[in-house]
Amino acid sequence: MNDEIKTVKSFDLTGLSCPMPIVKVSKAMKELNPGDIIDALTSDPGALTDFPAWAKTSGNDIVDTRPEGENTRFFIKKS
Amino acid sequence: MEAYAFSPEQLFGSVFKESGEFLLLDVRNNEEFEKFAIEGPFLTQMTNIPYFEFLEFEEESIAKIPRKNQIKIVCAKEGSAKYVADILTNAGFTDVGYLAGGIGTWADLLMPVEIAANEKYSIFQFIRPGKASLSYGLICADECFIFDPARTIDSYLDFSAQHGTRITAIFETHLQADYISGSQALAEASHAPIIAHEDDYRIASFEYDALRNGQVYSPEGSGIEIKAVHTPGHTPGSTSYLIDNQFLVSGDAVFIKSIGRPDLGGKVTEWSGLLFNTIVSVLKQMDDQIRVLPGHYMDWSEMDGSGRFIDSLRHIFDNNAAIYSIDDIHTFTDFIKANMRPQPEVYAQIRQVNAGLLTPPDEEQVIMDIGKNECAATHD
Repeated sequence: MNDEIKTVKSFDLTGLSCPMPIVKVSKAMKELNPGDIIDALTSDPGALTDFPAWAKTSGNDIVDTRPEGENTRFFIKKS
Repeated sequence: MEAYAFSPEQLFGSVFKESGEFLLLDVRNNEEFEKFAIEGPFLTQMTNIPYFEFLEFEEESIAKIPRKNQIKIVCAKEGSAKYVADILTNAGFTDVGYLAGGIGTWADLLMPVEIAANEKYSIFQFIRPGKASLSYGLICADECFIFDPARTIDSYLDFSAQHGTRITAIFETHLQADYISGSQALAEASHAPIIAHEDDYRIASFEYDALRNGQVYSPEGSGIEIKAVHTPGHTPGSTSYLIDNQFLVSGDAVFIKSIGRPDLGGKVTEWSGLLFNTIVSVLKQMDDQIRVLPGHYMDWSEMDGSGRFIDSLRHIFDNNAAIYSIDDIHTFTDFIKANMRPQPEVYAQIRQVNAGLLTPPDEEQVIMDIGKNECAATHD
């Protein structure tokens, strides 16, 4: 699934609608060290444009975005 | 004070009627906001601050909101608007509301406005502010006729029931490309026939009654006529409907501040010729006191003092002389070509849906159907 990208934490955010996916990920990022990567699986279609926009605002990096069926998994690196 | 939810109808009341100063705060991301935003003649203050900015930079974001204003918040669904509303009320704001159901409810909203009422009939205009589209209902004795229904057919079914009528015919002015038509669903729900021109509808997978140019529909015992007038150009089958020799439901043939663009079908020279001929040989031959009920408005400056979109042919010809006074076909075609712009990609799919050749799931239809129309030949 996330075999090439080493993540420190995984989040299953399917079934949650905005703002909750971003609220949860934002909180988690604040507890990480720079360079740490997490992955978050989302089902909310709004996440597709919200995650990149949020990452830009918060200064984090989306290093990969992978569709998984109806869902999308984001890999986010703390800068 | 706690944040309160407001309905899309209440939002219509705020942005389409003078109802005091407020700030509309759209908390969707910038990309979504750029694509589609709320509009209205009395919407004077609007700002876009994504909800995640409140999450990451709460104090700085709150500081951007003027304290004295009433605040109305919108987002994609509802959750983020409520989230920001709670942040603001906790910060001491006293009058904060959020749009129930999110911006999709605004995109779908239909507001009926009375156009005419006499002892024989009444006509209502359904304004769809999210699309800048207009559909119509004609009530005559115990019958109701719907013209160019939108996807949200419950509005028309409720309208008909409120007037104690049944829907007996559904008229399409043309095969729409910019919004999903409610005709198929409304025909199923009401058992009324769809009436349309075969030059647009011959590809349709469903049953419809093909009209003839000049054909007259006369509601039983009403003493009035609905006359089909072929006005091709925007599409080859474009048809206007003349009600009681007074009101012309023009679809995308005539707009109050423009004309329907003839370049959507990839045959701009041929269709511009059709449109030019429609202006010269059909529209200019009509009584110019006839009042046009168009399928779209370009902006709300076209709205009259009663909140309706209606104007006489004469005013339209005079106010848009740059279009309607061109007197040769080549100049007209050049004018059209000079104003051409790309059409949204989704239009090809919407045509397929409206011809019954494609049936996406409801959630997908909601998304396909969001966005202001791009149907006018001229633009700012």
